[in-house]
Amino acid sequence: MKSILTAMVFLLLGGCVVQPVKYDMSAFQAAAPRSILVVPTVNKSLDVDAPNYVLSTMPVPLAEKGYYVFPVNTTKYVLEQEGMYEANRIHLQPTETLAKLFGADAVLYVTINRWDAQYAFIAATVTVDFDYRMVSKDGTEIWKEHKTMQYSPQNNNSGSPLAMLITAAINAALTRAAPNYMPLTQQANHQVFVLGQNALPDGPYRPKKAP
Amino acid sequence: MRFAALALTAFVLGGCAAQPIYNWGGYESMLYAGYKDPTKMEEMKLGLERHIEAMDKSGQKIAPGLLAELGTLYLQSGSSEKAMAMYARERDAWPESRGLMTAMITNLERRAQAQSEVKK
Repeated sequence: MKSILTAMVFLLLGGCVVQPVKYDMSAFQAAAPRSILVVPTVNKSLDVDAPNYVLSTMPVPLAEKGYYVFPVNTTKYVLEQEGMYEANRIHLQPTETLAKLFGADAVLYVTINRWDAQYAFIAATVTVDFDYRMVSKDGTEIWKEHKTMQYSPQNNNSGSPLAMLITAAINAALTRAAPNYMPLTQQANHQVFVLGQNALPDGPYRPKKAP
Repeated sequence: MRFAALALTAFVLGGCAAQPIYNWGGYESMLYAGYKDPTKMEEMKLGLERHIEAMDKSGQKIAPGLLAELGTLYLQSGSSEKAMAMYARERDAWPESRGLMTAMITNLERRAQAQSEVKK
């Protein structure tokens, strides 16, 4: 506990975000997109529901960053009307074509690499892993990021070994019943879009900070 | 100790996180629920209707995409008139959506016209 407090004090003193390496954002700044089209998510995990769940988490953080985000469910519907049901196939389309079809300045491609919960004895670890890639309407890649997030329930060491064992078993059972993928996914997005060293610049609808 | 940690967490997060621009009216969780269980899309439709009505009443700007998402839910439940009205509102609220919304509306108008000609 003490160490967490100390770490947080350091975080405060050090400013909000530590930025050791700044990626080259000149391509993004040159493209200066106002609108982002988020196309259906490619799934490399074994969970067939993951792509839609991930898709549902994209609009809010991107729009709060100041961009116009095309309505993701409407986008999915339009693509299906065009016969494009497979995210894999959509990701292979030339970005120019997709951007033109929707009138978008940039297209965001998200790939799920991992979306799983692993159980070892009585410990559980939930993992999500995503690749994000943004391409401008002329086909130039303007931004790219990768994020892994993991969660293991904290087994508080409250006394006897038996109590600890029971706590751990209950935590593992709860995780197994309902792995908390969504908060992890939201955290991954937040880290990547807002907090990370490669965060997106503010879009046109984000009010300018007072100097 | 625990309280101090909590207060500090709130402070750290509060200091970093920018003020939200929009009121989303539960859009993200409604969409998640709808993808999890498609019968919940009906609830999303009602939820968005309520949210948009409340935003209109208080004169607040509606978050990007919400009007169009409601339009598509109307379309999928067979109300293309209502869908067109929502697409038109999205188009007028967000210039970036103009191309797509105009295409959606034109398409629906054409479909309505074709249907009325069949009836004759």
